[in-house]
Amino acid sequence: MKNTFAKISPFQVDPEKIMDTFGIRDDDFTAASSQEKESMVEMHKSISFWQDAWRRFRANTVSMVALFVFLLCLVFAFIGPKLIPYTYADQYRSAQKLGPFEYSKSEALVRSVQKSADGFYATALRPGSLTAIAKGDYFVRAGGQTYAFTMAKAAEKSVLLLKAGDPEPLRLVAEKDIENGTYTKYTAMEVSDTPAQGATELKLTRRVFPHVFGTDSQGRDIMARTMYGARVSIIIGIMAALIVLVIGSLYGAISGLCGGVVDFIMMRIVELIYSVPEVLIVLLLQVVLKDPLQMWFQNHSATSAFVRAMSDLGAGIVSIFITFAVLYWVTMARIIRGQVLQLKKQEYVTAATALGASNARIIRKHLLPNCIGPLVITTCLQIPSAIFLESFLSFLGLGVSAPMASLGSLCSDALETISLYPYRLVFPAIVLTIIVLTLNLVGDGLRDALDPRLKK
Amino acid sequence: MGTYILKRIVGSVLILLLIMVVTFLLMNAIPGSPFLTEKSTPEQIAMAEAKYGLDKPLHIQLLNYIKNYLKGDLGTSLKMQEGTPVKNIIFHQGKFVLSIKLGLFALLLAVCLGIPLGCLAAYYRGSWLDGVLRVVTTIGVAIPTFVLAALLLVVFSVKLKWVPTLSGSLTDTKSYILPVISLSSYYTCYIAKLMRTSMLDAINQDYIRTARAKGVKTSGLILKHALRNSLIPVVTYLGPVTAGIITGSFVVESTFSVPGLGKYFVQCVMSRDYPVIMATTVVLSALVIFAMLVVDIAYKIVDPRITLTTKEE
Repeated sequence: MKNTFAKISPFQVDPEKIMDTFGIRDDDFTAASSQEKESMVEMHKSISFWQDAWRRFRANTVSMVALFVFLLCLVFAFIGPKLIPYTYADQYRSAQKLGPFEYSKSEALVRSVQKSADGFYATALRPGSLTAIAKGDYFVRAGGQTYAFTMAKAAEKSVLLLKAGDPEPLRLVAEKDIENGTYTKYTAMEVSDTPAQGATELKLTRRVFPHVFGTDSQGRDIMARTMYGARVSIIIGIMAALIVLVIGSLYGAISGLCGGVVDFIMMRIVELIYSVPEVLIVLLLQVVLKDPLQMWFQNHSATSAFVRAMSDLGAGIVSIFITFAVLYWVTMARIIRGQVLQLKKQEYVTAATALGASNARIIRKHLLPNCIGPLVITTCLQIPSAIFLESFLSFLGLGVSAPMASLGSLCSDALETISLYPYRLVFPAIVLTIIVLTLNLVGDGLRDALDPRLKK
Repeated sequence: MGTYILKRIVGSVLILLLIMVVTFLLMNAIPGSPFLTEKSTPEQIAMAEAKYGLDKPLHIQLLNYIKNYLKGDLGTSLKMQEGTPVKNIIFHQGKFVLSIKLGLFALLLAVCLGIPLGCLAAYYRGSWLDGVLRVVTTIGVAIPTFVLAALLLVVFSVKLKWVPTLSGSLTDTKSYILPVISLSSYYTCYIAKLMRTSMLDAINQDYIRTARAKGVKTSGLILKHALRNSLIPVVTYLGPVTAGIITGSFVVESTFSVPGLGKYFVQCVMSRDYPVIMATTVVLSALVIFAMLVVDIAYKIVDPRITLTTKEE
């Protein structure tokens, strides 16, 4: 190597010597191959905000269990009704006031038939329930055979019994006969093996579904009602939370961003609503809104799908939504305003303003996305509070109206007969408590996961 | 301080006025007349309405209400107890006293139980006691008041027969137990949770370490140094508690058949007894607003660092 260094250096330094002294070799200066480069870079895969939050959430055992239980509740509320043969509104005669896992006389008979090896029964509508069989042609398939028959007149609440090896295999047993114990007097029917044209197939089933939670005084299955009630309660909770989310976040963001007089006035309004004892107003609102809403539904239901959906929910529930829209957004607005006050001093907001972004755009693109943590947490914690309010109103006889049910109205109905049938209260109450509990825990977990600074 | 209190009082009165206006408008938005029954003819309704001044224009009715309220006249009942002055119904038939008693006991229980429990949980953090308390309080804030009330009723009055089923007018001590417990349980649990968090916060502060290094006894440390500083969130929460206890009293009074103001309010809303609705709303609102005012002032006393007059972030 030619010593060029010496020419410009005032000192006589020999680079070769230096390199020797420090043990540096020539090939240390060759460019690294891409493989070598890769092995040197210690890069973690970049984690997005949500992945990071999910990682933290997953580490929180309590919240994970709560989330799992809440998902179970969702399955119970939304898929459960499809799995059991009872509906929330149907009243099953002779099945009134049953305890958990009890059967009415006729259901018990059907069960006993099923147990006798080759017994079947068929009903007209849904398996497991004893329902009327209308006049008409029917066929039933059982044991590889088709039995077709004609009902000359409608048979009320009856069971079709099929017994293999019986000379007259198809029997129609009226529920009345079952209850009186006179079901041996079968009504024999003409049976053929080719179904008539247009004949309806009767559902054939081997099981009677137990009334797991018992039945109420009108013979309605409490489990079906609890599932339905849980669904109503959860929908109300989520809808109300969304209403609060939209109104509260927009209000808070506008107030925080505009500042000055606008902020002052908007915050005074918030304080005012905050100090109004809301339940008094809620009760009044419930009573006030009920009739006008019903009128509105009747007049407009033909014109818009939205109104039809609302009227399906009923005036009681819609007025709960209105109540939330009027009174319950203040907490959200306060939280978001606080966040926005901090965020609006950030450079990116200044930059956006300098680039000519409108206030609406700044709120939409910069402020609200950066508030996502508090937004999600507050919304999640709003759901149980909405469920609480709904159940409270239903308990007082406002809220949902019969035959519709919510967890609150179920508890309230159960209270009348509490000393005789405590289980009627216990089941919906447990479901209600579990839903609220798990949502609270999930909300806490979300807070820890999304906003670690808040963790104490 | 004086100006602040004055400002707050003026603000409270304004809010009360606003509540009156809103209530009045809402009441009048309920379709139908309070005198509408199956038998009544239009003439009878008109006569009854004229008697109580319901035929006058709305703003005059409203002004009359406000004028009378300023004079301390709450009007007379139209339906529930026809002709009886509302003031008598609320204050002299024991309803107000009953509700207040129930509410105060519940508040007292929530504070007296919640704060020590929170302190205990914070002090023995991580121990089995903390664990048990955490489970209990977490479940406690998830059980609706009416569910708890009903369950207590079944277990302790129906099955065990320890206390009477109908609490009635709360004449003996026993009948207080269940209503007060069910009314206060949520708040006890909430306050305990709140207290635990803020106490933990306080315990980890430098001044506690200093005090400990100085040799202050543990009991003195918690009671004197940490407690005072960790009370602030609890005090702030007491305003909403008061409102909540009044709300809860509606449910608890119906469940235990206590003839209090909460139960009565629900009844009179249903029967559209305008003067009674108005009076009950105003009285209950005044209670809540007064509680909020007291809390804000207490807040200042607990923490002298808080300046009340300036309100800027």
